[in-house]
Amino acid sequence: MTTDNLAPVSESLMVVGGGISGLTTALEAAEVGYEVFLVEKEASLGGRVSQLKHYFPKLCPPTCGLEINYRRLKDNKKIKVFTMSEVQDVAGAAGDYTVTVKASPRYVNENCTACGECAKVCETEISNDFNFGMDRRKAAYLPHNMAFPMRYVMDPAMSTDDRDKVKEACKYEAIDFDMEEKIIDLKVGAIVWNTGWTPYDATKIDNLGFGRYQNIVTNMMLERMASLSGPTQGKIIRPSDDKSPETIAFAQCAGSRDENHLSYCSYICCMASLKHATYIRAQYPDAKIHIYYIDLRTPGRKYEKFYAKLKEDENVFFVKGKVAEVSEEAGSGNINLVAEDTITGEKVRQTVDMLVLATGMQPNCAIDKPNADLNYNAEGFIVNDFKKGGMFAAGCANKPADVVTSNQNATGMALKAIQTLVRR
Amino acid sequence: MTEKYLAQPDLGFIAQLRELGGETLKKCYQCATCSVACPIAPEDSPFPRKEMIAASWGLKDRLIKNGDIWLCHQCGDCSDLCPRGAAPGDVLSAVRSAAITEYARPKALANAVNDPKKLPILLAIPAIWFAILAFVTMNAGETMTKIFNVFGIAWSHAHEGAEHIIAQANFFSTWFVDMTFVPIATAAAIIFFLSLKNFLNDIHENAVLEGKTDKTGLDYKEFFQAVIKVIPTVLKHDKFNECEANKDRATPHLMVLYSFIGLFIVTGIGFVLLYIAQSPGPYSQLNPMKWLANISGVALVIGGGLMIKNRLDKKDDQVTTYKDWFIIILVFSLGLTGLLTEMARLAHLAGISYFFYYLHLIAIFELFAFLPFSKMAHLVYRLTAMSYAEYGNRK
Repeated sequence: MTTDNLAPVSESLMVVGGGISGLTTALEAAEVGYEVFLVEKEASLGGRVSQLKHYFPKLCPPTCGLEINYRRLKDNKKIKVFTMSEVQDVAGAAGDYTVTVKASPRYVNENCTACGECAKVCETEISNDFNFGMDRRKAAYLPHNMAFPMRYVMDPAMSTDDRDKVKEACKYEAIDFDMEEKIIDLKVGAIVWNTGWTPYDATKIDNLGFGRYQNIVTNMMLERMASLSGPTQGKIIRPSDDKSPETIAFAQCAGSRDENHLSYCSYICCMASLKHATYIRAQYPDAKIHIYYIDLRTPGRKYEKFYAKLKEDENVFFVKGKVAEVSEEAGSGNINLVAEDTITGEKVRQTVDMLVLATGMQPNCAIDKPNADLNYNAEGFIVNDFKKGGMFAAGCANKPADVVTSNQNATGMALKAIQTLVRR
Repeated sequence: MTEKYLAQPDLGFIAQLRELGGETLKKCYQCATCSVACPIAPEDSPFPRKEMIAASWGLKDRLIKNGDIWLCHQCGDCSDLCPRGAAPGDVLSAVRSAAITEYARPKALANAVNDPKKLPILLAIPAIWFAILAFVTMNAGETMTKIFNVFGIAWSHAHEGAEHIIAQANFFSTWFVDMTFVPIATAAAIIFFLSLKNFLNDIHENAVLEGKTDKTGLDYKEFFQAVIKVIPTVLKHDKFNECEANKDRATPHLMVLYSFIGLFIVTGIGFVLLYIAQSPGPYSQLNPMKWLANISGVALVIGGGLMIKNRLDKKDDQVTTYKDWFIIILVFSLGLTGLLTEMARLAHLAGISYFFYYLHLIAIFELFAFLPFSKMAHLVYRLTAMSYAEYGNRK
């Protein structure tokens, strides 16, 4: 830490991103007694974790982590949450930042009880991004069933007719279309960027056919299908004809460890596919699952055990060789895939009902860099400059990581931020 | 693999491959995308994934003696999709280059042909040789006539009244030209024959070892039948045309191949005309043989020129090493000097025509004498390997 600077002006800190790691950083700092501004661009906290059916390796639902954090959040007066808000600009230096935050209108105030009457009368429908566009939702919607704040959102795409109808339907006077975009300046001493990740755009992986063939889906799409709150109410079915798949293949490293796409290992996809195998095994005990991989990366005792258990499963097959070519079988919509089994040295041509691409994670900063003095590596991950201090990155803004690792470094970065404020 | 296999890494060989354009070989992490991306890899033991690990481990025997490296036409589809930039196409090209050197005898000459530092010497040999011959032809005609008369052979092949036209024979005796090239071509053929015998046995042994063939023995008669079957594929460039990434390479390559065939025929006819029909050149432009010669010459220049252009344009896609430049510049120069010689002759510029002819002879010398050692040798190795694949039922 530099000591020749003046004492920090602000005693507050900001956390950008309210996913699992942002929640952790905010809570850890606030529970030590510091004021925290938690800025989230979506309408709800929870981030990617809220889209999951289960965490690995324990296979428990994400409510288990989110609920306790929401509880801590509600009990803590030190944290101020800004949803539908984005950082526009960061001025100043470590210890004395002025952050300009733009808050978009939700058109719903604190009176909302999430009763859902508005959604019943609303006729305008929009694509459901939470389910990766696999279904549509009303323009009056609850972000998801673990929303925080537990409040509806009125989408700007809503028709004028519907606006009148939803206002009428709301018994609590919670809907207010006069709300406007707000620009807020906040003074903070330190900022932690927990801006998270986006699934890599699978349409860019030309040889894997996503977007061309209906029955090729991504791992996150499968996750939403498997989730009870998802587009198929938890049923894993193939998109072209809603058929229950009998053979499913996974193409690992779809876009990851590939200098034409993401040059790094995304860390979670191997465990995610193994976890997905458990979903399919539970739903379709006779279905055959084929996992095509380069290397299976399941680090640590718990993950290794998880993998070992699936290896014993007679319906789960592992093929060492990357899927490199796909096509659609005429008429059936089945997917033909080609790989080389590097153990036997033979080309494998397999026809499956559905192919899941284990796409990796791309840091959101690779797509949209915040207007702040940050260092990035070539892939768009934020590189922490501890000597400079003041701003830090945690979770998947910093490196590809699972939930456990994200939370660990989110906690660490809470401490780093506090050190900036205290300057000792 | 049931038997134990103890890898014997040859570090020198790895270094050699890296120098020959396979710099990226260590980047491979064996995902096998390449084997699927390759449009001409067989179903069983496809390439080039297995070649990449063999290269990485320095398993020289498994590469040099592997017929599969010659089935590859370096279209670049594998390198395009490679997630690591390991460029399997370039690595296989380097392996082929090492294989040519390995099978060729004498080794010293093989090494010299692939060493840019030796190029001045390789050029100086024919340059000095032909300068001496030109000197003798122009200044010692009488002496030579006497010497030749001892054997009862006419020294000059020149036309009646040849002193009034430009004929290359006035500059270089046709005897000298043929006394240079017939032995050189014969030597090249002998070197090829010996190399190919070893090569064929090796790739057969390797195919049996790796289970790439259903044949146990090597039946030469059946093999030659396979050669006959493969020739139309080569002439149509069917395999080359299956490639996607470097599609534009197939046409110039085809042009060069056909022009060489054309020029080979022309040379044969010329030999017959000179020694049997006793009718020395230059021949009339209306002569059908001249048409074939001219068309082939033009095709050679255009094909060679396009190859140079493609290589220059796509510097990043495909590694171009000394061995590649050596051969395509040679091919291009061969055609160009030949055509310039002819044009200068038709324009009645004797001195200029003779000068280009001198350069042309040097180019022919470089081609013939170094044929078994240069990249040009791929012609026979690839034909042999493709024929073996046909013979061995490699599907």
